Amino acid sequence: MNNKSYCDGKTRRDVLRLGVAGVLGHSFSLPNLLAYDQSSKSQKSLIYVFLHGGLSTIDTFDMKPDAPAEYRGEFKQGDTAVPGIRICDQLPSISKQMGKLSLIRSFRHNNSDHGPADHYMLTGYFPQAGFNGGLTPNNHRPSIGSIISKLAPANQGVPPYVCVPKMHSSCGPAYLGPTASPFVVESDPNSPSFQVPDLSPPIEIRADRLDSRKHILERLDRFRATGEMKANQGAKSVSTFQQKAFDLMTSPETRSAFQLQKEKDSIRDEYGRNTLGQSCLLARRLVESGVRCVTIDHSNWDTHDNNFTTLKQDLLPIFDRSIASLFKDLSERGMLENTLVVVTGEFGRTPKINKNAGRDHWGPVFTVALGGGGIKGGVVVGKSDAKAEKPASDPYGPEDLFATICHAMGMNPEHEFITPDGRPIMAVNQGRKIDPLF
Amino acid sequence: MLSALCLLMVLLTSQQGDVVYPIPEAISLTTTGSYATLIVESKSAAGLITDLTDEVSARIENPEIATLFQGRVYGKKIGTTRLLIDVKGKQLAVPVSYNPIANPLATTFYNDIEPILARHQCNSSGCHGKAEGQNGFRLSVFGSDPDFDFESIFLDGRGRRVMPESPANSLFVRKMSGKISHGGGARIPDNNPDYQTVIDWITEGALKKNDAISDVVGIEVQPPLRVLKGGAKQRLTVFAILKDGTRKEVTAHSRFFSNHEALAAVDIHGIVSTNEIPGEAVILVTYRNKTAVFRAILPAVHQYTAGKRYADENWIDRLIQTKLDTLRIPASPLSKDEEFARRVFLDIVGTLPDSSELKAFLADTNSDKRSKLVEELLNRPSYSDYSALVWSDLLRVDRQALGAKQAYAYYRWLKNSFSENKPLDKLAFEILSAQGYLDEHPEGSFYKVVKSPGELSSSFAQIFLGVRIACAECHHHPFDKWTQADYLGMQSFFTGVRLKNIGKKEILVGDNTSPGSNPRYKEKVFAHALGQPLPEVQPKGDARQLFAQWVVSPENQWFARNAANRVWAHLFGHGLVEPIDDFRDTNPASHPELLVKLANHLIQNKYDVKALIKLITASETYQRSSTPVPGNESDEWNYSRFLLKSMPAEVLFDAISQTTGVPGDFVGYPVGTRAIQLWDSRYQDYFLKVHGRPLRVSSCSCERQKEPGIAQVLHELNSPELHRKLSHEQGKIARLIAGKSSQKEIIDELFLSYFSRYPNKSELDLAAELLAKAKDATSKREALEDLAWGMMNSLEFLFNH
Repeated sequence: MNNKSYCDGKTRRDVLRLGVAGVLGHSFSLPNLLAYDQSSKSQKSLIYVFLHGGLSTIDTFDMKPDAPAEYRGEFKQGDTAVPGIRICDQLPSISKQMGKLSLIRSFRHNNSDHGPADHYMLTGYFPQAGFNGGLTPNNHRPSIGSIISKLAPANQGVPPYVCVPKMHSSCGPAYLGPTASPFVVESDPNSPSFQVPDLSPPIEIRADRLDSRKHILERLDRFRATGEMKANQGAKSVSTFQQKAFDLMTSPETRSAFQLQKEKDSIRDEYGRNTLGQSCLLARRLVESGVRCVTIDHSNWDTHDNNFTTLKQDLLPIFDRSIASLFKDLSERGMLENTLVVVTGEFGRTPKINKNAGRDHWGPVFTVALGGGGIKGGVVVGKSDAKAEKPASDPYGPEDLFATICHAMGMNPEHEFITPDGRPIMAVNQGRKIDPLF
Repeated sequence: MLSALCLLMVLLTSQQGDVVYPIPEAISLTTTGSYATLIVESKSAAGLITDLTDEVSARIENPEIATLFQGRVYGKKIGTTRLLIDVKGKQLAVPVSYNPIANPLATTFYNDIEPILARHQCNSSGCHGKAEGQNGFRLSVFGSDPDFDFESIFLDGRGRRVMPESPANSLFVRKMSGKISHGGGARIPDNNPDYQTVIDWITEGALKKNDAISDVVGIEVQPPLRVLKGGAKQRLTVFAILKDGTRKEVTAHSRFFSNHEALAAVDIHGIVSTNEIPGEAVILVTYRNKTAVFRAILPAVHQYTAGKRYADENWIDRLIQTKLDTLRIPASPLSKDEEFARRVFLDIVGTLPDSSELKAFLADTNSDKRSKLVEELLNRPSYSDYSALVWSDLLRVDRQALGAKQAYAYYRWLKNSFSENKPLDKLAFEILSAQGYLDEHPEGSFYKVVKSPGELSSSFAQIFLGVRIACAECHHHPFDKWTQADYLGMQSFFTGVRLKNIGKKEILVGDNTSPGSNPRYKEKVFAHALGQPLPEVQPKGDARQLFAQWVVSPENQWFARNAANRVWAHLFGHGLVEPIDDFRDTNPASHPELLVKLANHLIQNKYDVKALIKLITASETYQRSSTPVPGNESDEWNYSRFLLKSMPAEVLFDAISQTTGVPGDFVGYPVGTRAIQLWDSRYQDYFLKVHGRPLRVSSCSCERQKEPGIAQVLHELNSPELHRKLSHEQGKIARLIAGKSSQKEIIDELFLSYFSRYPNKSELDLAAELLAKAKDATSKREALEDLAWGMMNSLEFLFNH
């Protein structure tokens, strides 16, 4: 835990308000900050944009204009910045950024149920018997953010793994335990009153008083000594969370990263004044401060009815701006090389349009978009067949995606985690990295 | 259990003079595609059996006759040979014969091909098993409908899928083996014995079934139970019992799942590997919609003295202790009075004892004071508040679905039911059979929250029977016996129920019901309850009445067991069956006899829940301390110590209100309303939300989140609202300071409030240090606030223990 000294009598908030330069504590000194900055530049981070419900990739990234009418849908293809790559004309901004991201058009897993497919795409493991998608967290396999928390921990002070704006049930740590749990924002970054709750002590609690309180808590908590804490998983978790909480509370980096208000209005407008746009902007700020994984859970892409109207009017305009701005902004700030962005739903949607002008769940083939973090842009990997029903070449699945993420982030996909009961389980379930991306 | 105990004694003794032997002793393969798994075991003089198969090297003497694949012997050519085994330098031989001619019609689609499709996941829900099939080839999901699947393979696709004159050129064979492009890849390559079985089946005429043998009556797993050491392996073999009584090995085509991977894991070949945690694990085995289980008993390997003996009338403690003795897990001692009081207050009335109640209890010298306290708590109004909260979650008192007025009436009805201790069977019957104007019959509100007959029947099955049937809406339940016919039969009871508007009032009516219809066969399924015979006709009138009668009748084993299990789970933090609403043959109770006896107790006492609570809370099992003793730290399932339970959001809220002396202030509710009395699950409150209060959008008890999270912890540490309560000018600390109490009395009062006990020496020292540093009235108050803050954030406060 960081022990930072503050002048007596000042509230912690005052210290934080003063900002970095004027404070006495040595860990805030300029050389330290610079060192911190450099280390954060060489380390890789992941922004995982999860389009909850399932993006219709046949209508966006992998269109089939020559398929029969009941398949091809209402949208037209348009050119992108990369000659030869054509995507939906409802995505003009992303089209301009096409050189920065790549598309895996032969992605597939053979599951078309939300719960298990979500879990598969967020953890890289297909769930087994006893899986209950209704539990949060579902505690089956660790999410990619939890894996990153273990294998590529963040700079002290900032949480390694953050969920924005809420936590998907498959974003938990499972057997990696509470130290690999996400920090959940639980607040809409687009809301004018956006603020991460309870991140700092009440204003009346001076720095010395907080120290005293910590000391009291350590001496009072009898269950650490009598064994209850060790013998009860829930108590062990609370205790770990308390440690993490104190780290967060005493970190100016964390506080500053969450202050979206510090961002220029023009930038905020560019990302789009909506939950997805502001979540993407927040993700960039968090990564800038040293967070290693941000998972954005965005709903609702489950377009069983009126797929085309919903996409055209509600989802795609927001999506286009947010994702394009994220790539552009990361690139302009020199962060794209070290920030891998993955954009996907849990599956795609049925190639054949249903009777409600919608599309249903489709795991057998869909497109995953990704870029940054050392991955080539403007590449199309694999292709789907004429009606986007299944891969026509180079099929890849969640295991391969996770191996690719690990490779890009410099983590060993074959790292064996030892579960609390002593079972060795590999970080990635035997995937192979997707070579054309590197 | 006794034999398990005897075996265990051997575990600890030396292993001289072991006998080593193969299973089976002779292998006779009499049909194509049949196989035999080899196991080599040793048995010590004292009876301990160890699986040595991993240390074995084996080969077939004449490899033209038979072959070994993944530890199994398969026939190749008619004849006899031997399986030669070397185990630790010792030689064994097993005679092998292969003669499929004797049973020429034995390979059938039913018995041999359907299981291969399941094993290689061809019929999984993501592949050909989904409703629309995959690329024009469709199978029933999990192979629940072999007739359909046979037609799909043999008759559909213009007959090109199967070519009897040239089996290897059949489309079906070329696809499955990946010889031509197949979306699923090479599922069954030609070096897999299953490939040959498919070829043989086609060669023999692609028989659908053989009426003499084709029904699988059941499956058997060998061994059914074994006492195992930590770090051990145990191979399982699975046999199907065919209609004619034949036993046929099906291990390679069965699927295996462990209920406690922490204790024992199992792989796809049926090899169980154990860990060093004592306890019991169950391995679920499924084959062709039949299920069986293997129980692994994992005793602790350390010195152990058998626990206390209990008389027969203390059957809860006796049954719990018997299992602890088998597993050699020592029990923690009885709780102190302070611990017990805190526990029963939280469990029965959902809040902490206040200091005066606690002092009175501690001062009481009567030997029966614990049971008297329980009796007294059960008679408090807060007992019905808390019970109504628990059942409002399950029965979905949801303002959003009901409107405020109706939701409140429904809640009142539930609360009154608990305050008059309405027998649980009566409560269930009244809800199930409700009819009339909703404002006069709030018990009918569930029918306004849930409207579709299918969801009604599966919700009621989950709530009142603890059985999950929703899977069977679309396909045979993968781990249970329920079929679509069972689902449709249940659904059909609710097809006549309607909500109608008469003037401004809503009326619930039960019209004639209609039978369900199987979407695949279009055949009618008449209303019938789970496990009951299929009737010939649909009952006349509102069939719900029949269902309601069946639910609470003695013919139905689930109702009482589910009710008993729910009460038990409330008191202990988890059920004897867990998840508490997932009763299955393949999810057995940890203590089956105990569950039956608890259920019988309910039945004999006319479903008097209070009587059951009195019985359980009087047991030593319930009254054990939460402090572990050496040897039971890793036990979570055998009641060797009291497990810490997270407090429901509302209970924790009230505990904080009480200890700080600042009650909740809920807009629209009378002053002094406690959080457990909030009937509206949608009431906006960050504290309740972040601590996992459910919105009541499902009838699953899992909707209430019990896992802690960092947001909760940050809230307790930092929230301005809790700070306001701690430092409130009319709060507990302010009042204590203003009163005439001594410093010692103030400290005692804080400890009694937060921890339900007096402070110990080091805690008194801590308090004295803090107060000694405080120079003025403000800093003295702050010191006390800091002390209280520390207590509020301690595990001892945050958990029920």
